Amino acid sequence: MKHCYQLLLLFAALSGYAQNSKEYDLYVTDTVVNYTGKKVKAIAINGSIPAPTLHFTEGDTAVIRVHNKMHHETSIHWHGLLLPNEQDGVPYLTTAPIKGMSTHTYKFPIKQSGTYWYHSHTMLQEQIGMYGAFIIHKKQEPELPEYTMLLSDWTDANPHEIERSLHKANDWYAIKKGATQNYAEAIGKGHFLTKFTNEWKRMHAMDVSDVYYERFFVNGKQEDHAPQFKPGEKVRVRIINGSASTYFWLNYAGGKITVVASDGMDVQPVAVDRFIVGVSETYDVIVTIPDKDTAFELVATAEDRTGQASLWLGNGVKQLQQPLPKLKYFEGMKMMNDMMTVGGNMKDMGMNMSLQQMDMNTVMYPEITGKEKDKKTAGMAMEGHQHQETGNTDIVTLNYAMLKSPVKTNLPDGPVRTLHFELTGNMNRYVWTLNNKTISESDKVLIKKGENIRIVVTNNSMMRHPMHLHGHFFRILNGQGDYAPLKNVLDIMPMETDTIEFHASEEYGDWYFHCHILYHMMAGMGRIFTYENSPPNPQIPDPEMALKMVYNDDRRYYFSAEVGLESNGSDGEMRLENTRNFFDVEWRLGFNKNTGYETEAHFGRYLDKNQYLSVYTGFDFRYHNSLEREENLFGQASTQNQRAVACIGLIYQLPWLINADVRLDHEGKARLQFVRKDIPVTDRVRLWGSWNTDFEYSVGSRYILTKYWSLSAHYDSDMGMGGGIVLTY
Amino acid sequence: MKTLRNIAMAVAMAFVFTSCEAQIKNPKTETVKVYGNCEMCKKTIEKAANEKGIVKADWNVDTDMLTLTYDQTKTNTDAILKKVAYAGYDSETFRAPDEAYKNLPECCQYDRPAKVSAIAENHDSHKGHDMPAAETTQNSPLFNPVYTAYFSIKDALIKSDGKTASAKASELVKAIAAAPMDKMKTEQHTLWMKIQSSLKTDAGHIAETTDVKHQRDHFASLSENLYALAKTTTNDAPYYYQKCPMYDNGKGAHWLSKENTIKNPYYGSAMLSCGSTVETLK
Repeated sequence: MKHCYQLLLLFAALSGYAQNSKEYDLYVTDTVVNYTGKKVKAIAINGSIPAPTLHFTEGDTAVIRVHNKMHHETSIHWHGLLLPNEQDGVPYLTTAPIKGMSTHTYKFPIKQSGTYWYHSHTMLQEQIGMYGAFIIHKKQEPELPEYTMLLSDWTDANPHEIERSLHKANDWYAIKKGATQNYAEAIGKGHFLTKFTNEWKRMHAMDVSDVYYERFFVNGKQEDHAPQFKPGEKVRVRIINGSASTYFWLNYAGGKITVVASDGMDVQPVAVDRFIVGVSETYDVIVTIPDKDTAFELVATAEDRTGQASLWLGNGVKQLQQPLPKLKYFEGMKMMNDMMTVGGNMKDMGMNMSLQQMDMNTVMYPEITGKEKDKKTAGMAMEGHQHQETGNTDIVTLNYAMLKSPVKTNLPDGPVRTLHFELTGNMNRYVWTLNNKTISESDKVLIKKGENIRIVVTNNSMMRHPMHLHGHFFRILNGQGDYAPLKNVLDIMPMETDTIEFHASEEYGDWYFHCHILYHMMAGMGRIFTYENSPPNPQIPDPEMALKMVYNDDRRYYFSAEVGLESNGSDGEMRLENTRNFFDVEWRLGFNKNTGYETEAHFGRYLDKNQYLSVYTGFDFRYHNSLEREENLFGQASTQNQRAVACIGLIYQLPWLINADVRLDHEGKARLQFVRKDIPVTDRVRLWGSWNTDFEYSVGSRYILTKYWSLSAHYDSDMGMGGGIVLTY
Repeated sequence: MKTLRNIAMAVAMAFVFTSCEAQIKNPKTETVKVYGNCEMCKKTIEKAANEKGIVKADWNVDTDMLTLTYDQTKTNTDAILKKVAYAGYDSETFRAPDEAYKNLPECCQYDRPAKVSAIAENHDSHKGHDMPAAETTQNSPLFNPVYTAYFSIKDALIKSDGKTASAKASELVKAIAAAPMDKMKTEQHTLWMKIQSSLKTDAGHIAETTDVKHQRDHFASLSENLYALAKTTTNDAPYYYQKCPMYDNGKGAHWLSKENTIKNPYYGSAMLSCGSTVETLK
């Protein structure tokens, strides 16, 4: 105890902070919520979602006891805070996981001020309620009315099920959002070629977000009210994006929004009409209540525009903000087509894109580029076509180049090391990587105290990523020279290259750098920075085992199945796959002797960066009673009637999403097969077909009823015509 | 046969009745004020409020009162009035977005309930919070009319507004002709003599067409010359020399602006924020 006291004294003397211990008790419990008329499991802290707002003053010592009243483990990470590594709250990496029915005490000095937040860093718990605001006031803060606006997304679906379907590229969420971008719609809008080219370049329907959310919230409500503010008053709103995977546009019905801080750090005030808040970013803004007897809407709209949540500032008749119109997906698709090579790389046409300045998505925003045209007249401006625009060019949108620190932020002198991170991914298999490696596939990045680390980040994937660094602030080199803004989250759009740099100012420990879209992080999109010669962490008694637990997150296998029950037999496939490997079993069972049965089992591995190419080995058993064909395309005797062979093969995804599968069995017979699945004809109708060099073929269609069930009909050269139902899991 | 027809009739009648009956369950009726003008407003308001089987709305042109009957388990008055407001109509609860109001046909633009500004009273406290205004700057008074016309052309091109660009270019032609050569410094004078004729040509071309594409071609070379001129003058507030890397198949093009924020005049709204500041002229 005495020792502890001395330490505190020492600290006080060093930093000149007055010691003021501020204590909180957080009780984490399983709970059931009902936001949409359906009862769903969630996690609450002190009985509420979001978790309670914690208030501190710079110089305090935070003592936070987390009581885990659940039977499974949890953790809490203090997002954006500068603290000793073992207090950072990443389970197994920096801090012991909080086991079920136990208490963990966090204690750390508060060395900064601003708007931060806290959330679980365990699996997908953040999605179901474990997030709260963490506000640190300056010691002498000017009195300004303020309000905290914590944004989040809610889905009734179990997040683990969401994660699984994302890996399966199930397009149910797109159906729910009306974003399947099917051929019928494409033809209707004069975009048949756009859609075809898009698939030619091996892209499925494009979207700006992956998950369908039933609700979006401000402080846990669709509409939050803050009537206490007076007309004419300036209000500081602390905006925190605590969602799992949703970017939000912020618009204010009462005029300009003045941005004064980001990620907790002050910036020189800049007035804008709107801005986007990346997942896990925070922004402090000042807005004015311009009229009497009126409440003004500060509205957060999901980037995919499937929903919004509002905060009403002031009291009286409610002044609505014009909602953001639907996205023009085909315009975006057209843009994508121009930007994407058939080889699957993004090219920026020499535009050196960076810092959110050139938002390619703008072509999809009707409020800026005008309403959707139904004919082909909507030629892209980039091609040099001229067309009459009805859009609005007066809207000022914030971008990173406009952020300027009020003080110089130059790093202390020290050796500079430059790292290059290319953000990579495969949308269809939901693989997200840095330099084509997941967290578990890469070594930790060793850094030395006193070093300056410069990171050049290039986004070669098709989605934007909010990259978050634990325990440090980085400068974004944005043309503001000495006054580059400090942040701990960098939103980087497709094709952009940004440079950030930070000073390795900590003493020791492992610090995460990862994409803050929850499902991307869990897929392995990140790196671990580790200080050389770190002492053993008392929180992690078995470091080897613990690291394995960290790595397990992105090594997991996902199960999927498609089982058809039709009048002519049963077709099906079951798959188990992770980042690189897959096991699958396929079968076709006829209902009579003539149609026979076939079954194939494979184990395979994806080889290239884009995961177009994979190799496999496996078995093939089949029996048919009556088949006449005797030779295949290669003049080899067909063994379709009876076969029991081992085989090796290679699958390559061709343009237009056709899988070419070439294999050789141990008897020396070869087969080449082409398969195209899930051609989106309308919102819910999918066509598919296959053909191989044994002259087997089949074509079929599917009408999607629910996430799991479809009606189906198909014709198979062996089994004939059939119809029935398909279970897609 | 006759019985069959009777049965069919009976079934049809029963169907009609049940569908009437089933129209709105758990009904609640409320009457609220919605501001509007005419029969056309009535249509729009009711269309916005109605929802089959859930909401039935009737708006009275004379009294401005909207009578709502709705299924109270599925919706509420506020939710309905919000939809009406999005269609452009104010109520006691919601004030429509200005944009929605402006989009109403002229005859429907009813007198809105007056807003009482709270800003006027403490105007001073509002100052200093907006972006620094660049309007008040004096950029070398000698060439002021030239640059004023130039910036107007630029702003018109940002909006892809060929007509305004053409009109402003005519002003530019006059401004160029009127530039007082006797007051120029030697260095400026030399430069002016060099660029004067191409300035005139470019401005003339922009003036004589409303084809934005053609205007932009000339705007590119116009900008190059004015940049050279701006370098010889000293300015109180900076001019930003900005670049669009994509223009003319990747050859790129420049322009001058009084704001650091990028608003690209070469592509209109689609590529509005494309570009970067390459030099700040002070």
